[in-house]
Amino acid sequence: MSERFIAAVGRKFVSRTSAEELGALTHAAVDVKKRQVTSLVTGKGRKAALVDWDQVSGFGPDAVMVADESALHAPRDDHESAAVDGKLELIGKRVLSDMGEDLGEASDFVFDPATGAVETLVVGEKEVPATSLLGAGSYAVVVKASG
Amino acid sequence: MRLLVTGSAIRGLPVVTIDGGEDVAEVRDLIYSPEAGRVVGLTLNKRGFLAGRRREVLTAENIHAIGSDAVMVDDEASLMLPAAVSAEVGDPPSGRDVTGNEVLTEQGKRLGKVKDVVVLVGSDGEVVGYEIETESGGTGYIPLPSQLAVSGSALVVPDPTQDFVESDLVGLGAAVDEFRSRLGMP
Repeated sequence: MSERFIAAVGRKFVSRTSAEELGALTHAAVDVKKRQVTSLVTGKGRKAALVDWDQVSGFGPDAVMVADESALHAPRDDHESAAVDGKLELIGKRVLSDMGEDLGEASDFVFDPATGAVETLVVGEKEVPATSLLGAGSYAVVVKASG
Repeated sequence: MRLLVTGSAIRGLPVVTIDGGEDVAEVRDLIYSPEAGRVVGLTLNKRGFLAGRRREVLTAENIHAIGSDAVMVDDEASLMLPAAVSAEVGDPPSGRDVTGNEVLTEQGKRLGKVKDVVVLVGSDGEVVGYEIETESGGTGYIPLPSQLAVSGSALVVPDPTQDFVESDLVGLGAAVDEFRSRLGMP
């Protein structure tokens, strides 16, 4: 069952061993070329922490389950620092076609909560299939022009 | 129906990498070859207000597409130093600016003066027409054949051009194919 990321923002992270609540989902880091959520972010600013996708034991409708607190870690490099600051977020970013046309702003993305695979990028009223994603950076997400 | 853009609308567009989604430069000016009827390259500025010129140029071969909102390139390596590219782009001959040139038909009718080039959106710099100042002082758009005679002060266009002086880019976009088929062009 596919899920929209925006609907999952704010979902709590829960430790499977202690049943403790560890934080709430704020961002996702997405590898556009692999079309995959690589890590989830909880908290903001200095309190932000990441959970690598392979440490998520269950992305459920009410909670994101992780083994225990050790699954959360502080940013380890510039890439992860950018991720916790939301700079790698697809949502809110300008979407350009490879023909140089501005298609609007990415408002959401759809992913498979079982695998973290990104399925579509939501741009205005349209959904762009993840297979059309070509690259992403600070200026824009680039997608293959349709037709 | 073709989407078109004037040269002046291309100046200032961001140059964006497809691979990285980064705006690595912006268009300073077009390097136009009137003989070839196409943009052969672009000169560049750094991004940002008054950020100054970038030494690198972008050859047409390295342009993925000139769009209405951005010029797309594969990656930053597409931007090359003038010494590394053909002289046509790296050190373009002077006197190739067609702006102000008189547009004459083969029969000797004056259609106006060139104001700007009109580029096919999504192409790597194909020029399909000119924006002209018409004899009445207004703005018009004329389609171009792929090759034409240029002298430095005037250019000679086929006679049928006078039937295709359009008042806007949408009209020109619709007229280009008909014009070219009338001339027996592909």
